[in-house]
Amino acid sequence: MKPRLILASVILPLGLIIAAVPPNTTKAYKLTAEQLLNEVRENLQFIHPDQVADMLIQKDPSLQLIDVRSKAEFEKFSLPGAINVPLENLLSEDYEYDINQDVKLNVFYSNGSTDANEAWMITRQLGYKNNYVLQGGLNYWVETIMNPEKPASTSPNEEIAKYDFRKAAGSALGGGGGDIEPAATELDAPAAAPPVIKNKKKKRVQGGC
Amino acid sequence: MGPLIVNEIISSNTNLLIAFFIGIGFGFVLEANGFSSSRRLAGMFYGYDTTVLKVFFTAAITAGIGLLFLSLFGWIDLSFIYINPTFLWSAIGGGVIMGAGFILGGYCPGTSFCAAAIGKLDALAFIGGILIGIVIFMEGYPLWEGFFKAKYMGSPLLSDWLNMSRGLLAFLIAIVAIGMFWVGEWAEKKFARDDYEINQH
Repeated sequence: MKPRLILASVILPLGLIIAAVPPNTTKAYKLTAEQLLNEVRENLQFIHPDQVADMLIQKDPSLQLIDVRSKAEFEKFSLPGAINVPLENLLSEDYEYDINQDVKLNVFYSNGSTDANEAWMITRQLGYKNNYVLQGGLNYWVETIMNPEKPASTSPNEEIAKYDFRKAAGSALGGGGGDIEPAATELDAPAAAPPVIKNKKKKRVQGGC
Repeated sequence: MGPLIVNEIISSNTNLLIAFFIGIGFGFVLEANGFSSSRRLAGMFYGYDTTVLKVFFTAAITAGIGLLFLSLFGWIDLSFIYINPTFLWSAIGGGVIMGAGFILGGYCPGTSFCAAAIGKLDALAFIGGILIGIVIFMEGYPLWEGFFKAKYMGSPLLSDWLNMSRGLLAFLIAIVAIGMFWVGEWAEKKFARDDYEINQH
């Protein structure tokens, strides 16, 4: 038999099969259930409002707040510089560029933390990097940054410094912070340690003749 | 699970090692198919030897259908496969230059190294030409930068453009390829030369 005929009798049936089956569009999940459970248990996804406030005040360009509430709620109130990605549109192609990236620190937030956590869990499973959740959501944000509770005068200095920072931040970000001493913004960085930003680039496999 | 390097199943060093062995295999197949003979390569343009067409199209449809099967089984994520971006004018210009060089020199860049490895002097001259071309391109880059970067089209896919599935396109290409092999073997008889025997040693 001629090589051409052998080739044809192998390639053509295979080609017919591949033409007939639908393309595989499922995306493999990148984490095992166990790995994800560990991350959830250790609350690795949370970023404290103090840190977000600090980044906002310093106009840190790497911060990207993502509001996962509905459009109506987003228009009513949103954090400065936030973009609106309603949870039901999370997987829409329009937003993939914002969510699947390795440059910015994405912080999901909603009113509480449930919706934001759901968004985080889905994107984490897809293997997207640099997505986090605002701890406690907007409710906790208002509680800590916008209307911080004055600690008792016998509190440790750290507590008072934290309070001063929150008061200053709240007022800078449009809350009812009240009187601020000028020194307040120069206080120590907030308690929450900055998360380690993994800068793993997705390398594409290069090829050529 | 694939591509192995993107999903960190292997390190980039291991990747280079694998590339080294694949490179040896590639060179071996080129040489085994007589691609170090410029007469065989030039035969493609005159029709008396269409081995080049057959080897490369067999490789292309095998790889294409193979990748689609791997994707079907979930063994590779095709969205991670690097697709050379298209700059239309430089692609056309580069094609013309490469084609002209191919006819004039009797080699393409890969096969010239293959032929140099078995000691052919004309292949060494061809490699010298490649190096001169690289130097001219780099030193004169400001002159053709505009042309080089013109008409950027991203990474368009024929299947998207024709609005058909990748699998169907692969099947059609396989049919076209086998049709071309048939035409090629017909041409080899039609344009056969007295002083040239296919698969000579």
